[in-house]
Amino acid sequence: MLLYDNAMLPECYAVRLLSGLLGVELDLKTVDCYPGRQHREEAFLAINPLGTLPVLDTGDAFLRDWLAALVYLAARYDSSARWLPTADAGRLAAVQEWLSIARLLQSSAGAARLHDSIGMATDIERRRREAHDLLRMTEKHLWFGERGGDDWLVAGAEPTIADIALFVHVILSEEGGIARMPYPAVRRWTERLRRLPNFALMGGVFPMPALDASRTLLSETECQAASAQSATH
Amino acid sequence: MIASIGWHPVAASSDLPTGHVYQTQLEGQALAVWRSAEGEVNVWEDRCPHRGVRFSIGVAVGNELQCQYHAWRFASGSGACTHIPAHPTQKPAAVIRATIFPVIERGGLVWTRVAEDHSEGTVPLVRDGVVMRALPVNRPAATVEAALLAAELTGATFFVQPLAEGQSVIRGIARDEASLRTLDSALERLRRQLEADHAVI
Repeated sequence: MLLYDNAMLPECYAVRLLSGLLGVELDLKTVDCYPGRQHREEAFLAINPLGTLPVLDTGDAFLRDWLAALVYLAARYDSSARWLPTADAGRLAAVQEWLSIARLLQSSAGAARLHDSIGMATDIERRRREAHDLLRMTEKHLWFGERGGDDWLVAGAEPTIADIALFVHVILSEEGGIARMPYPAVRRWTERLRRLPNFALMGGVFPMPALDASRTLLSETECQAASAQSATH
Repeated sequence: MIASIGWHPVAASSDLPTGHVYQTQLEGQALAVWRSAEGEVNVWEDRCPHRGVRFSIGVAVGNELQCQYHAWRFASGSGACTHIPAHPTQKPAAVIRATIFPVIERGGLVWTRVAEDHSEGTVPLVRDGVVMRALPVNRPAATVEAALLAAELTGATFFVQPLAEGQSVIRGIARDEASLRTLDSALERLRRQLEADHAVI
């Protein structure tokens, strides 16, 4: 499969991220949209008349929407149906609801980031307010979820493509002047995601060591103290 | 609502899972709050003394906080730098340390003070209960406190954390788990009113 890609776009990152988590190899073809404007060239418009990135060439079709690409990868390559719970009507609908929120984040937080990074024209204060409204809603959902033992957007033991779709815009929000400080449950959720095995990064996304690995950095004395403490309980 | 002098809640105890660095502010002071593996809670200036990067994008590793930028590590409690990866065999100079603030954990909340007015002040004694979701409001603390008093919400004790100019956070301890969602919705309504009053038309 071939992904028409740009390293700095969150929508492209989402597709790379999910393919990494699924262990699916993608060939990447970089489209220089800034400053090169290759996405407005005839050769690219022949593939995607919308002129947007990414485009996933599955061999059978060109998928011109990043959320469609996530659906395709999960439905085709995740036989456990963990990332897209197709057999569970309630959870599947919940995933779709969050994908719609991700789309709104794209047009708010995503637009604010393009405004601040490459000067795209938009009503920047309005975009930021819209993004904060969505983050407030997400914060409330995740905070009450944590209390009920749910780590992810859609109730269940495992994350879904909804988490991936929101994550890419949430984690880059500060590049559009949208602080995440008011959203502590959202911040913790981004860390849980970043601790998943094979979690790919992009520029501006910082790694989180797996908690198991971090434990090995404890000194010998600390390990002894910890084991002595656990023995008393 | 209880007004406290100097000391304010800046996080909930439950905001600090293993490895996490909580980000907040008090009276304009950026703070990084984290719990060591041994359970000690730290409230530090959210700024690595090396290059000024926010500690809150870093990670707590055992009993140390590790900066995201150059992975310098700082000890829980003292804030002293313990390890510089670029000079692994050298003991870091004693002057390299995080700026730390006093901490009291009480009623499921983490309290600190950043003002240097030398008044003692105390952390109020709070009744046991369930810590509510912190609700940020884009209005000054005094305005939010007045609105909370006027709203006469029952079933919880509230505290207002002055974040920065024109911003605050409502924290609360509810009497029981069952009232959490009702109180949360009541605070959201209050916030909508407060922010609507202030909206630029």
